[in-house]
Amino acid sequence: MANIFPRFSNWLPIKILVCLTIIAASVVSGMAYYFTPKYTRVGYQPTQPVAFDHSLHVNQLGMDCRYCHTGVEKSSHSNVPGTQTCMNCHTQIKAQSPKLAAVRESWKSGNPVPWVRIHKAPDYVYFNHAVHVNRGVSCVACHGHVNHMEVVYHAKPHSMGWCLECHRAPENHLRPLDQVTNLDWEPPAGTTQREIGEKFVKEWNVKPPVSCSGCHR
Amino acid sequence: MKRTLHHPDSKPHGRTYWRSLGEYAKTPDFEEWLHREFPAGAAEWDQDPLSRRNFLRLMGASLALAGLSLSGCRRPEAHLVPFTQSPEWVVPGKKLSFATAQPRRRGALPLLATTFDGRPIKMEGNPLHPMSQGASDNFAQASILDLYDPARRQHLTRGGKKVQPADWDAEILRIREEAKSTAGASLAILADEPLSPTRERLRMELLRQYPQATWATYEPLAPGRDLEACSLVFGDNSEFRPNLSAASRILSVDCDFLGSEEGDLADTRGFSSGRRTRKPGDSTNRLYVVEPRFSLTGTMADHRLRLRSSAAGAFLLELARQIRAAKPSAELNSLLSQSPDLALPEGVDPAWIRECAADLVAHGKNSLILTGRRLPTPLQALVLSLNSALGSIGTTLLVQPRRTTPSSHINSLAAKIRSGSIQTLLILGGDPVYNAPADLNWPALQSSVPNTLHLSAIPNATSQAANWSIPGTHYLESWGDALAADGSYLCIQPMIQPLWAGESQIDLLSRLLGQPKPIGPALVRETFAQRSAQPADKIEQAWSDFVREGFLANSTPAPATKAANMSAVAGLLSQIASSPTEDPTSLEAIFMQSPAVDDGRYANNGWMQEWPDPMTKLTWDNAILISSETAKSLGLKNDIIKGILVADVVQATLAGRTVEAPIVIAPGHANFTVSLPLGYGQDALGPVAQGAGFDAYRLRTSTNDYQALGLELKRTGRTRELAVTQEHQVMEGRDLVREASVPEFEKNPAWVKTVGMDAHIPKNQSFYPNPKMDGMHQWAMVVDLSTCTGCNACVTACTAENNIPVVGKDQVMKGREMHWIRVDRYFTGEPETPESVSQPIACMQCENAPCETVCPVNATVHNDEGLNVMAYNRCIGTRYCANNCPYKVRRFNFFDYNQRAIDKLYWGPLAPKGTEETIKLQKNPNVTVRMRGVMEKCTFCVQRIEDAKIAARVRARDSDDLKIPRGTLKTACQQACPAEAIVFGDLLDESSEVSQQRALPQNYSLLEYLNVRPRLTYLGRIRNPNPAIPGARTSYVTSHGHEEGHAETHAEPKSDASPHSSGGHP
Repeated sequence: MANIFPRFSNWLPIKILVCLTIIAASVVSGMAYYFTPKYTRVGYQPTQPVAFDHSLHVNQLGMDCRYCHTGVEKSSHSNVPGTQTCMNCHTQIKAQSPKLAAVRESWKSGNPVPWVRIHKAPDYVYFNHAVHVNRGVSCVACHGHVNHMEVVYHAKPHSMGWCLECHRAPENHLRPLDQVTNLDWEPPAGTTQREIGEKFVKEWNVKPPVSCSGCHR
Repeated sequence: MKRTLHHPDSKPHGRTYWRSLGEYAKTPDFEEWLHREFPAGAAEWDQDPLSRRNFLRLMGASLALAGLSLSGCRRPEAHLVPFTQSPEWVVPGKKLSFATAQPRRRGALPLLATTFDGRPIKMEGNPLHPMSQGASDNFAQASILDLYDPARRQHLTRGGKKVQPADWDAEILRIREEAKSTAGASLAILADEPLSPTRERLRMELLRQYPQATWATYEPLAPGRDLEACSLVFGDNSEFRPNLSAASRILSVDCDFLGSEEGDLADTRGFSSGRRTRKPGDSTNRLYVVEPRFSLTGTMADHRLRLRSSAAGAFLLELARQIRAAKPSAELNSLLSQSPDLALPEGVDPAWIRECAADLVAHGKNSLILTGRRLPTPLQALVLSLNSALGSIGTTLLVQPRRTTPSSHINSLAAKIRSGSIQTLLILGGDPVYNAPADLNWPALQSSVPNTLHLSAIPNATSQAANWSIPGTHYLESWGDALAADGSYLCIQPMIQPLWAGESQIDLLSRLLGQPKPIGPALVRETFAQRSAQPADKIEQAWSDFVREGFLANSTPAPATKAANMSAVAGLLSQIASSPTEDPTSLEAIFMQSPAVDDGRYANNGWMQEWPDPMTKLTWDNAILISSETAKSLGLKNDIIKGILVADVVQATLAGRTVEAPIVIAPGHANFTVSLPLGYGQDALGPVAQGAGFDAYRLRTSTNDYQALGLELKRTGRTRELAVTQEHQVMEGRDLVREASVPEFEKNPAWVKTVGMDAHIPKNQSFYPNPKMDGMHQWAMVVDLSTCTGCNACVTACTAENNIPVVGKDQVMKGREMHWIRVDRYFTGEPETPESVSQPIACMQCENAPCETVCPVNATVHNDEGLNVMAYNRCIGTRYCANNCPYKVRRFNFFDYNQRAIDKLYWGPLAPKGTEETIKLQKNPNVTVRMRGVMEKCTFCVQRIEDAKIAARVRARDSDDLKIPRGTLKTACQQACPAEAIVFGDLLDESSEVSQQRALPQNYSLLEYLNVRPRLTYLGRIRNPNPAIPGARTSYVTSHGHEEGHAETHAEPKSDASPHSSGGHP
């Protein structure tokens, strides 16, 4: 009696098994890569060359974000302060603190402090800080409560879907312009964020772009 | 099955427009080429052993492997590096504009440099200065790439060996000692001509210190004879410049004032202001052009006569007589009293000259005659006298004080070198080893000098031959000053520290004078103090105004009103030679400036090499231009095979000197005249220049620097493949350009609607729903074909603004050039005597964009402001969009042009990637640098639109006024255009320029019957022919035989495949 199955079918179960294993491995590793918060860097908290404490400077000393991040209202990029900005105070205050050794070294040598970058949009995304902070979007909307962070970390996912959530419904994030850098601001009692936001959307004619050209050029 | 779209018949009637001789002759190869969806080679791998199937197989395997190693890498750690001390004005991420100027031999160009984070990335015209008014040109745009050219990387060398700056300091000291001991007799300086008052001042000081020193200037294409003629006619110390805005009748005799004559921008602007015709009754200027080769000026001509350059004398004498006949005067009698009686050149109708002269005389002081500035002096003097006789001095021709002081010529320097008196030769800029007249035998002469030094921003042949090679600075790296064409005083402000530690000319000269190394603008300030004549307490303010605005206000000398000294000219006219006989063995040679690489200084600039010559559409090469009749009589031919121009190579011999070069048959070229573009064949200059073109300087001598007789062309039997773009992206002959004469326009201002299919368009309905366009602005662009000269400045500006890669000759031959805007050049009429029209084509931003409906991944979609936007990060490179684009404006990145050098494109995936650091510095940070495998196209400069919108919102803060103020937003092409032929703006703003122009009756869109509703439309070209000229064309409208549109009669297309319907049929 002739064989019902041709010869090559002897290897078929093994081939199928190998393929399935590869597919399963791809799916698992794909999930592990893309579906974890690590992919969007949420929680990324690198060690900085200088242990700068935001909560101390903002909450205890009452400094405004814009004292150091001077370009945020004018430019697409919100700059990290130069050594000079640190030294404005730290020639007098804590002038000998060992924690500030790197800053003093930079001031003496002229070499900048290599701060580790936490938030980064891909090269094909053109985010603009100025237009957000000048139109009532607070720092907290994208960066979280930096004013309570001793060491800054990546608080929000910064994925495209997350951007569009707000661009499609800006009322959920708008606040009075003088409260933009007040990260702890809450809507006054008796109102909700939505009510206030909707008022601003109407009064300020807020129309965030939702087409590709808004961010990709 | 391939779907056939029944386009309407392409023209069984009227005029035909053609882009190349192949198209004119309808060769089978051209027809085949035309009907391909992609140019041959653009989409296929003809000779590649890796077939498409094999490729997919391999790719599948490698993807599977990639899946196994998916672990990948998380984003690497990156650093934010702030300034230690923040410089004033610098806000990271914000651009700054500074006024500066680009030195030119005819007059510097006032510019604004845009800098990002300390690096200049783009040049614009200085809007405050009348010579630019915000416009710029190709060379200004391309100069930014020159700054970052990696070939500039150089060291201080002596005898080819690297030396230390201290050795150089010692050498300067030695030169000073030597010069002192001989009172300068042993020292010679050969300099280029940047028209810098500071350098002029230092030169005078130098000649005071070393009275016997030789100072010679050499510019291969410098003015010379025009100055000679001008001082003859208007007295010493004078020069002239045309004022075309006042000219209503212009005759140009071998003068390409819109192109290579370095008509500066003001000429183009002035000409187009007189050309612009908006409504019936507007005055339109008229241009007569007499020229040997088809130039940009020729394309704008209402009447063009092709004439050999050596026949210009006979032509002009006849013209002078006809002007005298039309307007007799004693001064013209005396002018022509000794003039020889020359026979008219063959083929010139005396009636042409008579009518032209009558037209010029009728417009008196508003007429203008121009000649090429390198034509023989008697001709130029004659033309200046004729202008004076017409009364145009002071209106259309301005006489102003001369900007330069005379210096010796390279010839007298050569004589001194030969006599052996020169010990030290310092060459400031330029490249005499490459471009000095061939009869001087300069390389040998230079090496006979014991000590030669060359200061140059880019090491070239001269630096290699010199004992000392000294790195120089680019104009964006050093302080300087210059004079514009109108004589105003400009400031050259550095934008960046010298990238390769160069030294500027004025710094070097001041050290030669024994002064300490100058700091910053000290030298320029000193000159400024002298020129501005401000009291000490105001000088500081005056200086900062000068630097901020880029020029010294009111520094333009007032034009003089001078009478021509015609008796001085009368004696000269006997020198005018008769026109030579037509002889195929003794041709006339013309040495022309290359529109792409100038005199050769931009030969290592990839943008300019890849930039299609406006007339021949040739890239990466120059070629000998001849007429088709000359080619026939010499048995030479051009073949177009798969879009590649295969040109016969000839041996050109002139006075015993020989070069080999390919020929290109140029429509409209004079017979038995040969144009030789200069500037190519510089293998020494760098990797980009290597292998590009031939060196025509080898034939050029000091006496025959513009034209020469006796050239011989001999077939070699070999051919050379040339990359021409004229047959790429063809839309077939479907009434893309529309023209009318002034009377036709006045009879029916809406003539464009009667042309071609426009009168037959049924009421089209879109099959797809229209995208919602409810934005606050609706962007649109209009291009005026009446004023577009086809200079291609828009192409270079777009390249600079949008990070458009250079792909190389090999890729251009495959039809893969990346320019987002191209200028289609059409000819019409007979190949020997055609007329020409230029039409810039960019993405039409169709409202019903056909590209969008076919994209499988929504990478190209519409935004709410009517833009067809392209998301590169979504594009997977199917190229369906390019297939479906009726205008052929989409470009595909076949390779990683930004990661691979153009000679290494075909290297495998594991080969090293990356580009020169300095080239990266030039990139516009607001535009994505595209990678391999994505489609791209014109975006209407969406980065500028978004910037303007953001600026409006930042200004608005808590108000609702988000409108972009009118006129504050310009696209790169529009900003550069010196003819103001491109307008861009908001359709919702009824008083915006673009809305008004779209409402004009002469506004039309390309392929309107497709119902794609382009946002880029055109104003039909209006010509102003003189009906009295023999052979004048009176009818330009290729009307379909109907005076008015009759869409109604065609409103319901027949059920069969009617040629009028635009729908697709299987």
